[in-house]
Amino acid sequence: MPLLFSVLEFGTALERWLAQDAATVQAARYAGEVGGDAPQVRAFLAEELRAAGIAPDRVSVEIVPSRVGWREPIRVSLTSAYPVTIPFLFSTSVPLRSSAISRGELNR
Amino acid sequence: MSWIRDDAGAAMVTTLVLAPLLLVVLAGVLQLGALRVAAARVRAAADLATLVAVNDQDDAELARSGTLRLAADAGDVAREYFARELELSAPLLERSATEIAAGADVAAYASAPAIDTRTGARYDRPTLRLVAEVPVRTPVFGALILRPVTVLHVVALSSPR
Repeated sequence: MPLLFSVLEFGTALERWLAQDAATVQAARYAGEVGGDAPQVRAFLAEELRAAGIAPDRVSVEIVPSRVGWREPIRVSLTSAYPVTIPFLFSTSVPLRSSAISRGELNR
Repeated sequence: MSWIRDDAGAAMVTTLVLAPLLLVVLAGVLQLGALRVAAARVRAAADLATLVAVNDQDDAELARSGTLRLAADAGDVAREYFARELELSAPLLERSATEIAAGADVAAYASAPAIDTRTGARYDRPTLRLVAEVPVRTPVFGALILRPVTVLHVVALSSPR
C-alpha cells in the first residue's frame, strides 16, 4: 500500500513540477516582452498556475531585475511546496523550484 | 520447517520476494519521472534560447527593405542563452552547461528561403536552428540497467514574424 501511494504521490508531484516549469518559461518570455516585473506578468502567471491546478497564493515568485533594458537578461523563479503523504510511512513537503531566463525586448 | 507450509510463512516468503521487486519498480518509476522533467527542461531551454535569439532583428535591413532578417549575432545569442537556461538545471546534467552549449550545433539562416545543411529542411522565413546532445544524470538507471547517463537529443527552431 505505501509503495502504491508513493508512485501516485510522486507522479502527481512531478506533474505539478512540469506545469510550474511551463508557466515559468511563459512568464519569463512575457516579462522580457513587457520589460520586467509588471502587474500583467503577475496576473498572467497566476492565471497559468490556476489553469494547471496550482494555487497562485502558495507560490513564491521572484523576477530579477524588476526592470529590464533592451537585450538584458531577466530571470523568473518560482518556488512552491508540494505536500507528500505516504500512509503508514511519512508526511513531508517537497520544494518545487522552477526558473527561466529571457531577454528584455523593450528598447526604451 | 512447518512454518513455511502455513499461511503466515507463505505470506512472509511472498513479501520477501515481492518487496524488493516493488521497491525496484518504484525507484525506476521515480527515475523515469525525473528524466521526464529533465527532458522538458532541456526542450524549454532550447526553445527559449532560439526564441530570444530571433526576437532581435537586423534593424538596418528592416529600415532599408522592410524585410525581417536575423541579427548578425543571433547564433551566439542562442548559444549563450541555451547555456544560461541549462545552468538553472545544473544538478541534473552530467557535463557543465557551458560545455553542452558549446557543443551544440547552432545554425542561423539570416534570410529566406534557405536549405538546412544538416536536415535538408527548407525554411521560408529567416530561421535559427539549434541541435544539441544533453547528457543527464540517471543514477537509478545506472544501478538497474548500467546506464548512469542518459543522453537527450534536442532540436529547436525559431523564426521571426
